[in-house]
Amino acid sequence: MSIPAVPWRQQAPPPAYHTVPTQRTLVKPEPKMAAPVSNPPRKVAWPQSVRDYVQRSFAPEAFVQGIDRAEMERKLKDIINEAAEDKALNDVDWENHPLPQEIILQERKAALAVDENRMAWINGSAYDQATPVNGHTNLSSLSPSPKKRKSPDIPLSEHADDALPPWRKTNNHNVFEARITYANQGQADRVDKRQRKNKDKDNFIAQGSSKFSQAELEKRKARFQAPKSGNQSTPPWIPSRVDSDNEFSAGPVVGTCQELEKKYFRLTAPPKPETVRPLVVLEQTLELLKKKWRQENNYGYICDQFKSLRQDLTVQHIKNAFTVNVYEIHARIALEKGDLGEYNQCQTQLRALYSQNLGGNPAEFLAYRILYFIHTCNRTDMNDVLADLTPADKSQHAVQHALKVRSALAMGNYHRFFQLYLDAPNMGSYLMDMFIDRERLAALANICKAYKPDVKIRFLTEELGFESDPECIEFLTVHHAGDFLEQKSEPDGKLTLRMLTSKAGPLFDTLRSAAFSKVDIKGQI
Amino acid sequence: MDEVFRDFRLALADGDGYGLAAILSPVAPENDAGRLYAFYRSSNAHQIDGDVRYAVKYSNSIGLSRDESSAWNDVFVSYWKAVGEILAAEEGENMGKLKDGQWASVYEAWKSMTILLIKYHLSNIFPAWSIPCLYLAGKYLRIFAIKADSQSVKVKGNVTFNAGFQDDVVSSIGKNDKLEDAARQLNRMFSLCLGDRAPIEDSRKWGTYYTANLLFKTHFKLNAISLSKNIIRSIQAQADLPTLDLFPKSHQVTFKYYVGVITFLQEDYVQAEDNLTQAWQLCQKHAIKNQQLILTYLIPCRLLTKHTLPTSNLLDPYPRLQSLFSPLAACIKQGNLAGFDAALQAGEDEFVKRRIYLTLERGRDITLRNLLRKVFLAGGYEPLKEGQTEADLIRRTRIPIIEFAAAIRLGMGPDGQMLDNDEVECMIANMIYKNLMKGYIARERSMVVLNKKGAFPGTGV
Repeated sequence: MSIPAVPWRQQAPPPAYHTVPTQRTLVKPEPKMAAPVSNPPRKVAWPQSVRDYVQRSFAPEAFVQGIDRAEMERKLKDIINEAAEDKALNDVDWENHPLPQEIILQERKAALAVDENRMAWINGSAYDQATPVNGHTNLSSLSPSPKKRKSPDIPLSEHADDALPPWRKTNNHNVFEARITYANQGQADRVDKRQRKNKDKDNFIAQGSSKFSQAELEKRKARFQAPKSGNQSTPPWIPSRVDSDNEFSAGPVVGTCQELEKKYFRLTAPPKPETVRPLVVLEQTLELLKKKWRQENNYGYICDQFKSLRQDLTVQHIKNAFTVNVYEIHARIALEKGDLGEYNQCQTQLRALYSQNLGGNPAEFLAYRILYFIHTCNRTDMNDVLADLTPADKSQHAVQHALKVRSALAMGNYHRFFQLYLDAPNMGSYLMDMFIDRERLAALANICKAYKPDVKIRFLTEELGFESDPECIEFLTVHHAGDFLEQKSEPDGKLTLRMLTSKAGPLFDTLRSAAFSKVDIKGQI
Repeated sequence: MDEVFRDFRLALADGDGYGLAAILSPVAPENDAGRLYAFYRSSNAHQIDGDVRYAVKYSNSIGLSRDESSAWNDVFVSYWKAVGEILAAEEGENMGKLKDGQWASVYEAWKSMTILLIKYHLSNIFPAWSIPCLYLAGKYLRIFAIKADSQSVKVKGNVTFNAGFQDDVVSSIGKNDKLEDAARQLNRMFSLCLGDRAPIEDSRKWGTYYTANLLFKTHFKLNAISLSKNIIRSIQAQADLPTLDLFPKSHQVTFKYYVGVITFLQEDYVQAEDNLTQAWQLCQKHAIKNQQLILTYLIPCRLLTKHTLPTSNLLDPYPRLQSLFSPLAACIKQGNLAGFDAALQAGEDEFVKRRIYLTLERGRDITLRNLLRKVFLAGGYEPLKEGQTEADLIRRTRIPIIEFAAAIRLGMGPDGQMLDNDEVECMIANMIYKNLMKGYIARERSMVVLNKKGAFPGTGV
């Protein structure tokens, strides 16, 4: 372990009984216990003025609505420790020092003000984003385009599409091979990531490799390091954390890095402020990344950058509309590239962030969640999603669409399903692409059993949501149904291509069950 | 104090496991509501150990071994502490002054006692007949865990954010810390019972199903039903376990019920029906609530496996089930699609909560089948040819799609107006694919050609 000695690594570890909640015994203010208990090794004789201050903090009349006792106590502890460490216990004017409650209130107000400013800024930027770039709109909600693909963040591919005739457009994303390439790319990325992770390990873990897993090591390290930075490196104006179970949680880092781009590295120690970008910089980073994605469409790069962006937000405890925006954009890009693992990570985060009412597009991502569970055939989770739906959720267009998709499939109504496929809002089609082939096979098994003796290819093209007859034929041939196609002459003399349903039945039955048996459920939400 | 230990000695002398368990109950018996208070007040934190030691050890008229008496000593001291926490929490709740984490302290106190019980059973110091004490401990461990979790969610909210140097902002959503912990303790209990090697007459194996049932209950609450499958598997793997029918009936019913529900959720409706039917038959006559639970799953099961609907006779004793299922059943019978959709929607919240929505939804197929069957019946017979008699009458089996389409449009009400013929064909294709209808669609002629014998299998036509 060759981490340079940083201030928070030098203090002795805190006693194991640090968190013992002595609060219950403190019904009556007992200043002697309240403060020192948190730091027993240092026997400090608390001056009377400090004791009085503690007593005043606990007095019932000082109680402030909305600040619970635990938070207040933590603040109190911070204040006194801060003073003690500065050897300023006797210098502070305790009698007129603001009570912890008051300080917390002030901090909250300040935080709110910052948030509001930021909100205004972000709204502004969202507006910018909505203005046409290169002559086409790139914000889904504002896009009147009837095209199946509506991704706010993917303009390059769309841009390329513009040169193609409209019926080729979805086709481009649609064909099976295209997805295979995506998958491979995802795999390649993953391999890449793994190698990088290994490198990380080599960098950070001592040479004699330990028997503990990386995660365990980190946990242990967190256990020993965090409390120190919590007490010492946290400046007093940073609110003490209230939403973590971990009483020792590290205070947020305040970044000073001004670089816009940064490679992602998995952290194994608290980051140095000079390597972390503050919010103002991150906001510019996001704009830059959006632009780069539009221009270069390099997924490996963009994913890496987004991960470091997310990490910087996390270590600085930034949870606001901007955070939501970052995760949403990353999720959309991952979806477009079929990177389900990364998409799932973002989706999980978003779910929790939405529960904090930080804005964003909860309906859009709720719809994705429903579609995803259709893909994984996960009835248990689907049931849970349905159970959590509120009437407000159900009134949202995207959610309604996803629910209709679900019920169409549950009823076996492939006719309606493929209509819904062609009409998916936002980026729903990318998710539906994951199971569209499977459902086509199921529908074909169905049709082969019900229709005799044959059906026109035209009929299949329309019923199964193909863009064109050749695409439909290609799909059939790829699945070895080419032998069952036959030219027939109509009464009016025209030749039409038909599929012999009675003969193709067994083939599609087999393909159908194979398709349903291997649902890939890596990275479940 | 004296009363408690008098009962204790009696139970020990009689080898009465359930009596012994009753003494350790965290709830006062109905005929003696002040019992817990009296017990708690009769001592204090300093003296409790001595008091209990005196009561257990030195008035040892039943000849407990030294180990056993000191073990009971530990248990009762721990019980006394837990009672203190329980009384405080209940009082706080009644006065509306519950402190943060108070139910969590109850849970922890109760858990300490539970752990002691498990420990002394594992080391064979407690006799196997006292296993009901474990049942009781496990039962309330789960209850206290749930209370603790719901209190902590209220205080801290549902989301935990990362504080360290993680990659992502949120570390977890949905808090069930205590209940998950309880599940681990219950699991220890379960393996303790399942793995006991004492001769069967005097074995803790008899606790296997009770503890398994507790675990099922916990897993369901945790939404971790897949864990329950492991429990079933390990029971099946234990070859020397006595057969289920030798266990108390209450254990049997609950176990069958849960196995039934678990297989139901895995969509293995045949197995589910089998297990649920057995549970139904074994269920105690007056246990209305349990019967209701069993029927909640058995009815959808039979709808799918046998296409049977509950009679109103069956549902009569259960008004709640009556109101949930009878509208659906009526619509299915009539082939009333619009009514079915409305009934399903009306009950959606309840159905989803019970996890039967996705199964009941499939009842729509039967509804549609019944509707199409009516069209078929209304189509009448083929005209008789020369020389044929009434006996030769056969139904008209070539039916234009538009006839079915008209019926479906009528049946679906306003929703049906936007239905085109292709979608109608798709619905008929589904009927044929699912073997609810026999025949085929001749698309060029816009006809459905039905099988002359048994166009609608199992319905007599």
